[in-house]
Amino acid sequence: MTTMTCKKEDTTNCFVFEGKMALPNQYFVGRLGSKFIIALRDKKKIMGLKCPKCKKTFVPPREYCHFCQTKIDENWVELGNEGVLVNYAVVRYLGKHLPRKVPYILGQIKLKGADTPLTHIVEGVDIKDVRIGMKLKAVFAPKTTNTLLDLDHFEPV
Amino acid sequence: MAEFYGTTVADIFNTMPKRFKPEEAKEEDIAIGYECKGEGKWKVTIKHGTIKVEEVKGDLKGCATTIHAADAETFIGTTLGKIQAMDALTTGKLRVVGDVKLLMTLLPKIFVQYTVPEKKSSVVAKDIISTITERFRPDKAAGVDMKVGYDLAGEGGGKWTIVIKDGKCAVKEGLAKDLTVKMTMPAEIYVGMMLGTISGESAFTSGQVKLDGDMMAAGATSRFFNKFVDPNAQASEAEELITIKVTNSINCRFATGTAYGMWFKGLKEKKFLANVCPKCGRTQITPREICAFCRVRCNEFAELGPKGTITAADVVYFASPDPLTGAVRETPYAMCWILLDNASPQEAFCFDIKREDLPKMKVGARVRPVWAKETKGTFTDLLYFELDK
Amino acid sequence: MKKQSEKPAKAHKKNRNVAIVGIGMTSLSSHKEDQNQPEMIHEAVRAALADAKMTLDDIDCVVHGNMELFEMQYQPDMWHVLGSGAYGKDEYRITTGGTVGATMVCAADNLVASGLYDTVLAIGFEKLQEGNTTGGITNMADPLWFRNIQTGALTGTTAAMMIDEFGAERAKKAAMKYRILMDKHAMLNERAHRRFGLEYDQAEDLMKTSPQLVGELRLIHMCSQSDGACAMIFTHEKRAKKVCKKPVWIRDHITVHREENMSNLYAFEKPEMTHHYAARKLFERNGIKDPVKYFDVFEMYDPSAWWGLDWSREFLQLKGDEHLRLLEDGEFDLDGKLPLNPSGGVIASNPIGATAMLRPAFAALQIRGDAGGCQIKKPVKHALASGFGGTLWTVLMMLEKDLDW
Repeated sequence: MTTMTCKKEDTTNCFVFEGKMALPNQYFVGRLGSKFIIALRDKKKIMGLKCPKCKKTFVPPREYCHFCQTKIDENWVELGNEGVLVNYAVVRYLGKHLPRKVPYILGQIKLKGADTPLTHIVEGVDIKDVRIGMKLKAVFAPKTTNTLLDLDHFEPV
Repeated sequence: MAEFYGTTVADIFNTMPKRFKPEEAKEEDIAIGYECKGEGKWKVTIKHGTIKVEEVKGDLKGCATTIHAADAETFIGTTLGKIQAMDALTTGKLRVVGDVKLLMTLLPKIFVQYTVPEKKSSVVAKDIISTITERFRPDKAAGVDMKVGYDLAGEGGGKWTIVIKDGKCAVKEGLAKDLTVKMTMPAEIYVGMMLGTISGESAFTSGQVKLDGDMMAAGATSRFFNKFVDPNAQASEAEELITIKVTNSINCRFATGTAYGMWFKGLKEKKFLANVCPKCGRTQITPREICAFCRVRCNEFAELGPKGTITAADVVYFASPDPLTGAVRETPYAMCWILLDNASPQEAFCFDIKREDLPKMKVGARVRPVWAKETKGTFTDLLYFELDK
Repeated sequence: MKKQSEKPAKAHKKNRNVAIVGIGMTSLSSHKEDQNQPEMIHEAVRAALADAKMTLDDIDCVVHGNMELFEMQYQPDMWHVLGSGAYGKDEYRITTGGTVGATMVCAADNLVASGLYDTVLAIGFEKLQEGNTTGGITNMADPLWFRNIQTGALTGTTAAMMIDEFGAERAKKAAMKYRILMDKHAMLNERAHRRFGLEYDQAEDLMKTSPQLVGELRLIHMCSQSDGACAMIFTHEKRAKKVCKKPVWIRDHITVHREENMSNLYAFEKPEMTHHYAARKLFERNGIKDPVKYFDVFEMYDPSAWWGLDWSREFLQLKGDEHLRLLEDGEFDLDGKLPLNPSGGVIASNPIGATAMLRPAFAALQIRGDAGGCQIKKPVKHALASGFGGTLWTVLMMLEKDLDW
């Protein structure tokens, strides 16, 4: 039996193998999520859910109130399509999954009537001119994909 | 005929020709037999894009594959997806003699999914035509100039011309003289095509739809309009549940390290290199840096085989599809556990065995490796093992 | 004759004892399109909290787990905060393959016993309809060598070995009887997923006609996939005795993993199976000499009828055909000496990330007398539950009705 020796430091035979990992999946948006997206897609409206106890309105919708755990899935409210920018970040890194060409603005918009901000793309304004407190309005997508991007972006009023 | 889920077994077969997609079955030449206990037998013959469905009184002859349902409920339920086909196959209520894969791959490809016929959808052709202008997509019809005529016979039908020009669309009653293409069909066929319950190709191939003029233009029109949605159906339909489908594939890079690196070096030289534990002496194949029992590094390598003995064998009849490509390995194929010569007694090595040797393969048989013509130091260097005669 | 003392020797010493005080499950099915993942988890969490008569404020720490990437989502615990109640709390994410549900129970036990936390909520789930199981398993395999050969979780070697040892007729009959027994148990369990209503007189027919998957492993023998979630709440002895009428005590647990891949497991000489090793060590240190006698129920993780049957011999430290005889004599039935998987086992319900947690969960329900239609009539005081994963890894744990060791 011939023996060969290989020490940890000996890297002659080490190499890197290129491979691919495949991740096919389907995500069930759920009853509530579906209602939300269908409202964006068909009615061009943004809907939220209100907790009758805490009087807080959540968007995107969730089944239970975050604060008091009451079930709120029937209390749909129509939020306006306008709101105020409360936070933003400029996306600059490259990635083929990104919805826009970099650099672009990802903002958090507090819609009229909502207590939670909605994260979405902000367009129509130069990066150097973006300001917290800017008034923005929703623009809906002409071609819909059954995702959040049926609301295409927000832009200054 | 028993009725389940709002329909009958006979309706599923009666609608088969309409739901058939000839363009998906151009290569097929197959006869499938169906037997539903208590309901009857049918033979479906598909030959290069044509279909024949006939009820059979005696035996199902000449069918490469036959599908047997224990009762009407099982047959209708699995067709509609109300009953999981896998569950029915498991309990034996649904049985396939022949090619099981047929059920899951070919049939969904060549047929429009069967749906329970609407209890009188009140939508008629006239209603659908009236929504044409609002469904028009000017962005898709840029530069298009055509006049499409519809001659729909029967109740709710009529004659119309759809004029598309300069990014605008108009619907005029009657058929214009200078039509680009004229489509003649029964009004109810038009409705079925628009609602998606009838395959357009099938209707054309079977002669129910007649085309006069530019065939390509006829095929292109659907692109210029959004899909028609039956407003009545929406009211009674179950709430729409959205599913977002996506296939991500991530590029990865894997480093071999020294132990695996040696293994691949060995493959390049058509050798099996295992590393040996200095304490317990076991020959680890494929090599790992550490012997997990003794928790020491294994730096010494030994050459095993090349021949070996089969210690266990698996004949695979059902292969899982590749998640990225959906490709399925041809079955049956066999995997063997092989104790290579000079390996320590617990260290078997698992690999494919030559397809042709499957019938003669058994525990205790001697095997030898078959290498690729050109070995590069990757896992494709070892093709399979074959019986050592 | 000197009477042997009933009390087993002292177990593994813990800092303080831990009890299961709340158990919650969602329904298990293959159609959960109307719920997204956080909503599904929340259903189980609410059920567990209601069972324990607690609120989220009582929970100090959340342990979250499933089969990583099986839904093709990374670190789902992050956005599950909407449903898990982990907002503002410590959270541990655990992914150990198929054993993850049981491993979470062990982790929760360790976290509470150690004194780090007082009350821990463990959540296991899987939404396989959203992912791709084959993709998940393929992506777990060794990328350099095994990924291109392996066939997922299916192997017929155990069937071949049992046929070799006991003869084709007896082995196949036993595997079929096991399968039908599991279905009979599932039919009694309202919470089980797949309940086919199989009868023993179908055995002959099914043995021949069920489509073969690999070797003698047929479709009928194999577990399937389910969607669902399970949540359990653990707390320490002092609190458990105060707030819970029927606490179920975790006596001991052991985890045994092996490092090699399936490739190495079937030479002529086989290594000691992790099941055997785990049971041997666990029983030794708890002074249990006759497990069939000691335990009142065994919830075993049985991915297929062949494996379930083979492993019953390993776990119960039996020899020869003792396990076949127990099966044939009806001792694994609900009213037998050692009821096996009264819940129907994994073959009936398999939401992978939760499956290994369902085993101790159902065992605990048996101890509490809350198992519903599949409740064992005799009093259940000592339960054994196992988890399985990866290349035959084992988690084994003992649950007790009373603190009597």
